[in-house]
Amino acid sequence: MRPVPLVMSRLARSSGLGRYVAGGLLWLPTYLLPIGGGLLLKAVFDGLSGDRTADLRAALWLCAAFVGLEVVRGVVIVTAWAYGVYWWEAAVTTLRVNVLRSILTARGTAATRLPHSSGEAVARVRDDVDDLVQVTDDLIDLTGTALFGLTALVIMLAIDPAVTLALALPMIAAGVLSRLLGGLIRRLHRRARELGAVVTAHIGEAFAGVLAIKTAGAEEAVLRRLRDHNRRRRNAAVKDRLTTDLLDTATDATVEIGIGLVLLIAAPAMHRGDFTVGDLALFTTYVGWLTALPRSAGTFLYRLPQAAVAVERLRRLMAPYEDVEDLARVSGVWFRREPPALPSPPRHDDPLQVVEARGLTVRERLHAVDLRIERGSFTVVTGAVGAGKTTLVRALLGLVPLDAGTITWNDRRVDDPGTYLVPGRVAYASQVPRLFSDSLRENLLLGRPNDDDRLATAVELAVFDKDLAGMPDGLGTVVGPRGVRLSGGQVQRATAARALLRSPDLLVVDDLSSALDVETEKLLWDRLADAAQDGRGPATLLVVSHRRAALERADQVIVLDRGRVAGRGPLDELLEDCPEMRRLWTDELITEAEDPEMLDETPRRP
Amino acid sequence: MRPFRRPARRDAGKTRPTTVLGCLRPGPRAGAALIAAVTAATVLPLAAPQITRRFVDDAIGGAGTRHLAFVAVGYLALAVAGQAARTLTAWLASRLAWDGTNRLRERLAEHALGLDMTFHGRRTPGEMIERVDGDVAAIAEFVVAFLLDVVAGVLLLAGVLVVVLTVDPRVGAVLLAYCVLIGFGMARAQKLAVPSAARSRAAYAALAGDIEERLAGVEDIRANGAGEHTVNRLHAASGRMYRAEFRSERIGSGLLAGTSVAFAAGTALVIGLAAWARQSGTLTVGTGVLLFQYTQMVRTPFERLIDQLRQYQAALAGVARVRDLLAERRTLPEPADPRPLPASGPLGLRLDGVGFAYADDGEPVLSGIDVTLAPGETLGLVGRTGSGKTTIARLILRLYDPTEGAVRVGGLDLRDADPASVRRRIGVVTQDVQLFAASVRDNLTLFRPGLADDDRLREILAEVGLGDWLAGLPDGLDTALGGDAAGVSAGEAQLLAFARVFLTDPGLVVLDEASSRLDPATERRIERVVDRLLAGRTGVLIAHRLSSLARVDRIAVVEGGRIVEYGRREELAVDPGSRFARLLSMVEVAR
Repeated sequence: MRPVPLVMSRLARSSGLGRYVAGGLLWLPTYLLPIGGGLLLKAVFDGLSGDRTADLRAALWLCAAFVGLEVVRGVVIVTAWAYGVYWWEAAVTTLRVNVLRSILTARGTAATRLPHSSGEAVARVRDDVDDLVQVTDDLIDLTGTALFGLTALVIMLAIDPAVTLALALPMIAAGVLSRLLGGLIRRLHRRARELGAVVTAHIGEAFAGVLAIKTAGAEEAVLRRLRDHNRRRRNAAVKDRLTTDLLDTATDATVEIGIGLVLLIAAPAMHRGDFTVGDLALFTTYVGWLTALPRSAGTFLYRLPQAAVAVERLRRLMAPYEDVEDLARVSGVWFRREPPALPSPPRHDDPLQVVEARGLTVRERLHAVDLRIERGSFTVVTGAVGAGKTTLVRALLGLVPLDAGTITWNDRRVDDPGTYLVPGRVAYASQVPRLFSDSLRENLLLGRPNDDDRLATAVELAVFDKDLAGMPDGLGTVVGPRGVRLSGGQVQRATAARALLRSPDLLVVDDLSSALDVETEKLLWDRLADAAQDGRGPATLLVVSHRRAALERADQVIVLDRGRVAGRGPLDELLEDCPEMRRLWTDELITEAEDPEMLDETPRRP
Repeated sequence: MRPFRRPARRDAGKTRPTTVLGCLRPGPRAGAALIAAVTAATVLPLAAPQITRRFVDDAIGGAGTRHLAFVAVGYLALAVAGQAARTLTAWLASRLAWDGTNRLRERLAEHALGLDMTFHGRRTPGEMIERVDGDVAAIAEFVVAFLLDVVAGVLLLAGVLVVVLTVDPRVGAVLLAYCVLIGFGMARAQKLAVPSAARSRAAYAALAGDIEERLAGVEDIRANGAGEHTVNRLHAASGRMYRAEFRSERIGSGLLAGTSVAFAAGTALVIGLAAWARQSGTLTVGTGVLLFQYTQMVRTPFERLIDQLRQYQAALAGVARVRDLLAERRTLPEPADPRPLPASGPLGLRLDGVGFAYADDGEPVLSGIDVTLAPGETLGLVGRTGSGKTTIARLILRLYDPTEGAVRVGGLDLRDADPASVRRRIGVVTQDVQLFAASVRDNLTLFRPGLADDDRLREILAEVGLGDWLAGLPDGLDTALGGDAAGVSAGEAQLLAFARVFLTDPGLVVLDEASSRLDPATERRIERVVDRLLAGRTGVLIAHRLSSLARVDRIAVVEGGRIVEYGRREELAVDPGSRFARLLSMVEVAR
């Protein structure tokens, strides 16, 4: 099946096919009841224009019936709508969930699939998803108007075939026109969308970097850039809108032209008296409703290419091996109750003996780096800025795509480190970690079972216990962008606690020194070493650091220089035969000796 | 009466609308074109039923086919012209709507960027996207619809009423009374709908904010194996969204159905009246058809009005949220009589009994901070994470105002200083560096093209040790950097932040843990650059390590929001009782 029909058929099933069909059936009367309305009006006008004295009472009853019909239609609308909202939200949620699940759990690196800014990704998850659900919803509209059209055509054909045909022709013309304009509309729409995403991305970045902008006084310049982006988007959007409107107008004009043609062709019949005023009333009423057909067909036809764009853009957010089937998979929604609890992650049965990487290469950043980490070892990666330390650990963990290299776990090859080297095998505390706008407890657990003892252990190992004690709401404190401000060091130690809570065999810690003072970092390694001894913490560590406390403790140090290994081995050996290590070490010694935190070793003022 | 003109701003020349409506209002020429188009789009369709009446009465009266055909062709011409007028209106309306809402976006962005960090600390970029773009988009859609469906619809409605009143005053009067009733009912119903639409939009903004945070934190989630858990949380948030949407849509659909019924009643009423008038012989069949067609014509605008009511609710909720945002005031009051900081040369700094507490909890973060720096002097702030060093830095940058005491720069209380001169004259490198999805040049100049030429940019990049990095870029200064610092290491990003400061000529520089992301080796490389930056400038340096504080003039040791030791570096150095002296002796030992 082609992508768009496939997505539509899945979306129809997103909350059970029954609900979509039932909802569609509920809508049908709202389309079909006007048939009866037209017949009633015909009767009224034939009564009005008949030779016999019009029966006023009958006319009034017909009018009452006309109102009654509309009351029924109103009740149906309210019911069908309430029913439809559930389907709509379910369909939207299904797509969003599938995209998010792929970004968060699919094999391969997620970073390469995401657009530059998370703002742009949000725009896709918002607008493209809406487009797809809309087009699926339009299908019901199309069915309803088509059914009305068919019935109306049969009735009209019975009255006057020639006039009916005259009505049908302009509508067919409108349909052809919309097909012809399809390609143009698709192009214009894509361009408008892309330029819209540029605007949202710029806004997102401007507010993410608001501190830098304010302190530089660059507000005006950022706004000027916003104006440029706005102007380009406006031009594209106006063009997009104009072509769509032209198409709409063409379908609208078909009605007016249709009525004109009815008058033109019916003139002789009317003259003869074969075509009554009642017939004219019926035709003009039906034509009004019939416009809905080319309009909904036109809307559908022009939304279809837009939907194709949306599918493509959403699919690009998914992993390369995933297809449209995965994008639109019916994965269920939970609007009225809790989603099913997650199965506790299976305890993997292959505890770390040795993890090994060979020839890890990331273009322009890392060149054929080998790495071997044995159970119970403490490995430190060090090097100057830009040496590739962070790239090395991120490449190992599958967070950046490898251009070459293999990774093995206990001598078995790891195909996708991004999904294999995760908790409970490996946990990672990154250099620039993020907390979410939620309670600290939720931020640490992230789905793990709530266990106060384990939380306390992880918090203590991560040297976050004192900070936590100082927070009035403890683990209930809401942190993250919309919560309490935590310092950089607190965020890093909180994320270290988050990693430790996952009881990994191997703990990977990227440079903590940016926000941790020497003393705290030393304490952290001390506690982790103790915990490794008594089994409360990970047995094996891979850390990026240039601190003495880490380097002196290391079983092996890997010195990187501009993406290549400059030396490898225990610190004392390296200090003898690796000039780069000697240089780094001297700098570090001086730096740490000057560290103000050493002051704290002196007794505090009373 | 015009209010007093506001004093002209520096960038005067164009007037700057400050209200939502002010932003949306079109210029005079565009407005006139739009009015003409809307009028044509209203009048042309109004003429059509007159032709059908003529047609019916003439046909019943036995006119020739030729005459009837002529009338029918007239109808056709009118119909096509009416549609053309409508398309023109749509085109004009969408141009005006985009121009107006873009002005509004820019106004909102400007206002929000002007708000201080207490505001931004609580908002995610995703939420700001929703508030600057999403809410405005709802307004934009509505503005187009308003001009097309509401204004044109109401005009058509009025035209129909006038025509029907002249055709048959009795039917006209009934139709008028009936329309007033419907209009009144709709106005009441709409009041009912707005709050629930606002709640629904708020739920949507929260959902968007959640998704944005999660997408920004993809690696944290993946590395913690929390993907499925995050998906579950999206399910829960979607459920909340559904419930809010359900309530809002139930009201909206009720309105639609109600109007539909009311409209049918109106049609029945008019036809009933026509039947009665026909029986009493005061009305032709053609007029009956005409009245019927006019009531039919009322339907489309009414239905579109109701359809728009849903957009209108969203737009109104959007407008309310836009107003809320515009109503957010800076907690940093604009000085009544702004005085610029000295335009050149180093600036003195004086913290006078400064205390600070966040407005929301009132917990004192700083108290009794006294610091005096002569122009050109440098101060090193030392202390543990969370001791209050960063807050001091933010007070000096006037990102916050002190709750006690005063911060004086260049002899001027910052609260009295011209904010623009504060930004120009006080530079900073902070711990977190935000890079933009833009060229290296834009990332350095923060989009200010006139700030420096390319040679100067290259020179500065070389100075901060990014010369090799620049040489390795495919398009040099034009190379587009990914947003979220993609492709740039944390250390390189930090160096770029240094380069940003070098570009301006501040008289006071704050380096807030500026070197924290740099390895000692790299730090040494730029130390001389920092020296050059500080030469002839006043500086406040915050670092965990003293290596970058080695040449400062004064030292303040901060602990628990207070300065526990403060003095000239050399005086502290010779005072054996000082913490600083003990520190120095340790350095000697290490060397």
